[in-house]
Amino acid sequence: MKAREKERTLRERFGAAIRRTDVTSPGRWCLYVAPEAIREVCRFVFREMDARYVISVGMDDRPYSGRFLVSHNFAFDRDGILAAFLAELPPDRPEIPSIAGEVPAAGWAEREFRDLVGIEPKGHPYPKRLVLPDGWPDGVHPLRKDHAWNEVPEDWDDEVTFRFDDPPEGCTVVPFGPFHPTLDEPAHFRLYVEGETVRGCEYRGFMVHRGIEKLAESVMSYNDIPMLAERICGICGCVHNVAYAQAVESAAGIQPPPRAEYIRTVMLELERLHSHLLWVGLACHILGFDTLFMQAFRIREPLMWIAEKISGNRKTYSLCLVGGVRWEITPPLAAELRGILDRLEKEWNEVAQAVGRDRNIQRRTRGVGMADARLVKELGLLGPVARAAGVDIDCRRDHPYAAYDRVEFDVVVELDGDVWSRVLVRVREVFESIRIIRQCLEKMEPGPIQTPIDEELLPGRIGLSSVEAPRGESHHFVVTGENNRPRRWRVRAPTYQNLQGVPAMIRDQTLADMTIALGSIDPCFSCTDRLETVDLRTGLVKVWSQAELEQLVRARKSH
Amino acid sequence: MGGELKTIAGTAAACVAQVLWVLLLAPLVEGLVRKLTARIQSRQGPPIWQGWFDLLKLLGKEDLEAAEVPWLPRAAAFLSLGTLLFMACVLPLGAAPPLGEQTDAILLVHLVTLAGLGALMAGFGAGGTYSLIGSSREVMVMVLLEPLLAVAVVAGAVHRNSLAVAEAARGGVFAAEGFPWSGLVLLVVILLAFPAFVQRVPFDVAEAETEIMEGWLMECSGPTLALFKYTAMLKLVLYSALFVNLFLPWGEGVGGVGAWLWFWVKTGAVIALVATVAAAHARYRTDQAVRWFGMMLAAALGALWLAGLGY
Repeated sequence: MKAREKERTLRERFGAAIRRTDVTSPGRWCLYVAPEAIREVCRFVFREMDARYVISVGMDDRPYSGRFLVSHNFAFDRDGILAAFLAELPPDRPEIPSIAGEVPAAGWAEREFRDLVGIEPKGHPYPKRLVLPDGWPDGVHPLRKDHAWNEVPEDWDDEVTFRFDDPPEGCTVVPFGPFHPTLDEPAHFRLYVEGETVRGCEYRGFMVHRGIEKLAESVMSYNDIPMLAERICGICGCVHNVAYAQAVESAAGIQPPPRAEYIRTVMLELERLHSHLLWVGLACHILGFDTLFMQAFRIREPLMWIAEKISGNRKTYSLCLVGGVRWEITPPLAAELRGILDRLEKEWNEVAQAVGRDRNIQRRTRGVGMADARLVKELGLLGPVARAAGVDIDCRRDHPYAAYDRVEFDVVVELDGDVWSRVLVRVREVFESIRIIRQCLEKMEPGPIQTPIDEELLPGRIGLSSVEAPRGESHHFVVTGENNRPRRWRVRAPTYQNLQGVPAMIRDQTLADMTIALGSIDPCFSCTDRLETVDLRTGLVKVWSQAELEQLVRARKSH
Repeated sequence: MGGELKTIAGTAAACVAQVLWVLLLAPLVEGLVRKLTARIQSRQGPPIWQGWFDLLKLLGKEDLEAAEVPWLPRAAAFLSLGTLLFMACVLPLGAAPPLGEQTDAILLVHLVTLAGLGALMAGFGAGGTYSLIGSSREVMVMVLLEPLLAVAVVAGAVHRNSLAVAEAARGGVFAAEGFPWSGLVLLVVILLAFPAFVQRVPFDVAEAETEIMEGWLMECSGPTLALFKYTAMLKLVLYSALFVNLFLPWGEGVGGVGAWLWFWVKTGAVIALVATVAAAHARYRTDQAVRWFGMMLAAALGALWLAGLGY
């Protein structure tokens, strides 16, 4: 087995630093490493064994093993292995050598566990606060198990604002966001601009971090969480729904029935279709080409209707439970879906031809927002961004899940690494998705759609799952736990990695290209959190605080 | 003496009538353009009266003083609108203009520049980063566009030996002794740059909602915004009419109502063309647009040289 071979290589090189390993299934590999060797092991895995960086997870495992845990997850895409490199840290001094210097893609993830779990990445090149709000006091870490999910620290200060770095000399600052017509969700890029040329930027996001992981680990149960997971994203929610269910199944060794796997595949591809159509529309809107924007949305609409017919909702499908799915695709629905796909294929052919002929669009997108294969590797960029740079990765083929090992499809790759290549990748992936759904409808056998689960899931088991979202790989990491809920659930959406590539993608480009370069990663942030009201009679302006908004939402109206 | 007073009163009445006519017409044209755009995009579109509704709504709203120098955008709005309305009195709109046909045609060029200045004043008065970017883009565009119009007028003047509106700006570009080479070149050049004059895609770089959030207009609200919107609507109508005057003078020999109707049919066709082009294109990046205008300017100067040679 490939994982065993790799283990031997590592043992030969690092000896006793490799403490123990666990190959839970052919494609899943957990490996415990001495904390002081973790940097060197990760460097070796990333550089010499050419693994792809996935995510780093910090865990407060004190109530169970008496330690803190850090897991650096890597993927061996050619060998179909998702690996977790774990280090156990003492409870009194949670410190670990930072790997961000060797593996730049880990920059955010380490800052995140520093904020949320309070594990210090020693030697991190840029240890600035990433996730926690500005008014949150130092030394309080919400993802620790002794911190309640609804607890707000007493010395929380609403007045503190984020401290930005100084811009480089000779540059003026152009604030891009938190609200901008092309940012559908709040995020702040502070652009350093010389004339109309962007020289660099600083990013402040996580403005509406919703604490979903904490909520799941504290108050929800295994089968509630899929419905919470799909609310992570308003566009690729089903991806998170499936990825979570698969992560738990992988941890507990549950095999969903074949029909359920086909149904998952169909719904995931349906989601990719509507997401890619939406993206092509929005990209055109960003470029001022509203006609194609409107046409893309018209073509997309029947997909939303069939999704509603299957699941009851246009978007949040509530598809999975652990071990199966909730919705059946009946023969009449399958027939209708086939008809919709035929029409879509015809209309999308017209769009693809129109886009291919349009020199105007090409002039705005060729050579813009460059991300080459090297940047993809360094920052762990994903999905169409990676494939447009010639990096041939796709979880559907590399780490097959659901029914993807039973259908044929091509992974679309382009070579130029610019926005135009990303347009081409997405346009062509639509045809592949249509192909996949047709094969699923063809091959689905009648049968049950849910595996009965009679026994309680064993606690302390690790599950990893990657699902190819329209924007790239969504990775879920689960440690099973007591009380019918996981101890730890870490979600890494593709935008988390892709956003880290944006500063490099917009450097030395014009301000006008900023929006389409950012748009080309198809970013996905979250929703709004502040409100200002003006009393027209008195002219008084009142900014509602978080506490007041909560009061407004939760207090019962008295009649 | 009495006769002179009577003439002045008559001229004033004609001016008021002309101004009222374009004020009534422009929002309706906006509504029709939006309807046409919607149809191209497979949409229903708003009612054709929407231009009116928008203006009424904005006029009834508070004028938020978000700008650093609040009176400057407000003054700029009045200046732009006033300039356009004055142009309506100078420009022939299917009949002799109220201020007579002997006005200096160069005045038209100046009026176009003055209307553009409003955008600069509004942006600089607002003072925000995006407003300033919008204004500086507007300057870049203006510097390259205004000469195009000037060249067209001067070419007409050279052919007809007169700077009067009726001569230089009424198809004068085609009045060469031989085949009208200069006129045809200028027709093509101005047609290719025309969306920029009326601030439409693919050349609306100074506003560019999805890039710089309406640029110089960003801090304008309520009545100030209404006046700027009204100005934009009038620009579409009057600049299209100017285009018809300069380059499509044919078929108005019959005079009277027929000529008037025919003039507006031609103007409507120009407007429909602008709307269709806007619906079928993405926005050019500033540097691409500027390069394009530079090429047009070079061609226009070539045409002026031809005109000087009598072609």
